[in-house]
Amino acid sequence: MSTAESLPVPTLEAPAAGEWPGALLSVRDLRVDFRRGHQVVQAVAGVSFDVHHGETLGLVGESGCGKSTTGRAIVQVERPTAGSVVLDGVDLTSLGRDALREARVGVQMIFQDPISSLNPRRRVRDIVAEPIDIWRRASGEERARLVSAMLDAVGLDPAVAGGRRPREFSGGQCQRISIARALVMEPRLLVCDEVVSALDVSVQAQILNLLEDLKARYGLSLLFIAHDLAVVKNVSDRVAVMYLGVLCEVAPSDTLYSAPAHHYTKALMASAVEPDPSARHRPAASLQGEPPSPINPPSGCRFRTRCPRAEARCAAEVPVMREIAPRHTVACHFPLVGPTAPEPSIPDPLAPTPGPGA
Amino acid sequence: MNRLAPWARGGHAPHEYPPSRDQQPLLVVDDLHTAFLTSRGRLSAVDGVSFTLEPGQTLGVVGESGSGKTVLARTIMGLLPRDGVEQSGSVVFEGHEIVGASPKALRPLWGARMSMVFQDPMTSLNPVMRIGRQITEPLRLHLGLDRAEAKATAISLLNQVGIPSPEERVAAYPGQLSGGMRQRVMIAIALACAPRLLLADEPTTGLDVTVQAQILDLLATLQDERNMAMILVTHDLGVVATRTDEIIVMYAGHVVERAPTPALFESMAMPYTEALLASTPRLAHPSHTRLTAIEGRPPDLVSPPPGCPFAPRCRYARDLCQRARPPLVAAEDPSHLYACWFPLGGRQGPPPPSGLDAADLSLNGSSPDNDPSPVGRSRS
Repeated sequence: MSTAESLPVPTLEAPAAGEWPGALLSVRDLRVDFRRGHQVVQAVAGVSFDVHHGETLGLVGESGCGKSTTGRAIVQVERPTAGSVVLDGVDLTSLGRDALREARVGVQMIFQDPISSLNPRRRVRDIVAEPIDIWRRASGEERARLVSAMLDAVGLDPAVAGGRRPREFSGGQCQRISIARALVMEPRLLVCDEVVSALDVSVQAQILNLLEDLKARYGLSLLFIAHDLAVVKNVSDRVAVMYLGVLCEVAPSDTLYSAPAHHYTKALMASAVEPDPSARHRPAASLQGEPPSPINPPSGCRFRTRCPRAEARCAAEVPVMREIAPRHTVACHFPLVGPTAPEPSIPDPLAPTPGPGA
Repeated sequence: MNRLAPWARGGHAPHEYPPSRDQQPLLVVDDLHTAFLTSRGRLSAVDGVSFTLEPGQTLGVVGESGSGKTVLARTIMGLLPRDGVEQSGSVVFEGHEIVGASPKALRPLWGARMSMVFQDPMTSLNPVMRIGRQITEPLRLHLGLDRAEAKATAISLLNQVGIPSPEERVAAYPGQLSGGMRQRVMIAIALACAPRLLLADEPTTGLDVTVQAQILDLLATLQDERNMAMILVTHDLGVVATRTDEIIVMYAGHVVERAPTPALFESMAMPYTEALLASTPRLAHPSHTRLTAIEGRPPDLVSPPPGCPFAPRCRYARDLCQRARPPLVAAEDPSHLYACWFPLGGRQGPPPPSGLDAADLSLNGSSPDNDPSPVGRSRS
């Protein structure tokens, strides 16, 4: 583990497609249940993905699909009900309190509302220094130097901003302060939960550019959670699409947007608005209704109740994630791209004829 | 059988409003000014806005937070308090002057002839009143329907705005509905009395893209059916691009560009409009496309800069821009207005005010900071 003396240095350039040096974060069969009375809400119902070194993985979906809960479960703010979250070879779900505190230094989170995530009574330099103080990484001049360097890196003038309090800053500037605080401990992974949704487009562009720069400069990996498809496409190397607690499709950004395989991905994109009058919106292509309740999700494929392609098999059999092209996986029996899913390898006891073997 | 409000029977355009407008536009806004008297001084939120709106037309009002777009919408509705607010100019809606009218005089118009959908459906609905009652209230007040008629109309309205099983939903409280459903209820309330003008202030901000598309489609359909005019206020150029006839771009309380929607996107004249578009991430662009952020912030409206309000953030700004405010002028196309000394696309800017010499117009003017190159500055 690096010490406080060594300022973060550029380590990793984003590698070209197909040559990721390996997974920094591996999430396997992650489940988060919430109890509501005697009912169980499956907020996250078995999600698996990797975030590679130096990669930005986007996570999109409608509100209530479990994308924020997934982010919180990775940081262990929400303890997962089942599954594993392996960061740099260490399974965070297996750690006790002290070991988890230690490991958490490597994964930091920033939130949607930049103003309420900062203590209004503290000065900016103390907010940014808080992780340093908690871990007693530095003090005195060294602490001040680290804070100044970090504020400078996020585009704030340390001499002016350091002594002020959050209310003296705009939303975009508060988000910069949050980013500085998250990065001061040199994390490997930054979980960004809707970090630009509350900002004006002009400020949003500043923050997105800043995240891209910091990622390159510090060799960061990002899990970028947002509902805005265009924003996610802009910053992500790969994008995972989530619906009602499960992943539908994971693909490199440009592939996902040019050739979506899952019907839900296609419908999401048909709903997006583009600042282009010639891109006439087609109401028929967009999605009707709202997602069903996660308390009692549909059998088989969870999207089948809103899917234009759904048939009997979709209700009977849960589609598994399978690779239809290199780095492009989809959980759909009848994807828009690639072959139809093979019949299940495990025979359904209720089926009149046994299915073929694997 | 229950009687419905007359227009609700066919789900069609309202009955008893004759084409009252004999060549008269539905709404005429003329040199409208709204200022707030704050402890720091006079804050000019809307500064000289003029436009007209015909029945059935949709006007988009676009700008960042603090550009004055919401204040403009509220001024048109006559919703601002009188204390601490200065208003001048005029807003004529169906022949009624709104500016300076008392709430008592406006009440027959609100909900009945002009109504508004607000951004936040949770705080705009009454949390302790069933939604059915919130819809029937204006029906009984303005249209004089009895209880049964009003309830039947409310159910028909909820059905029209796409709420499933409306017979049961009329008894629900706002807290029992999702954000998208609440926004539909807001729209049902706003449309209950078949207004001629709907002001929609960020009606889909904060909603999912799928719900946003549904709500915008719904508004467009209802608008078509009823020949209703709409003012769509938003910060998102994507929302107005395919759903408006004309767009007003606001900055620091001023209209900085106004054009028919296709013309605005095809040949924008104002650097601010261009910058707004360049900072918007696009699905059509490859991932990791560098966005051109607009550095800095809008000016303080208590003490605005003397020149063009966008000049401090404008990459094309020259000396003249800092010193004199450009008027809103038209180019060869009289419907395309812009407020810029040096408009984009090779257009001719307005003549500079007397007293400022031609040197201010030259590319190599006295300002040391004039870099006309369109390449964005590098940022950290």
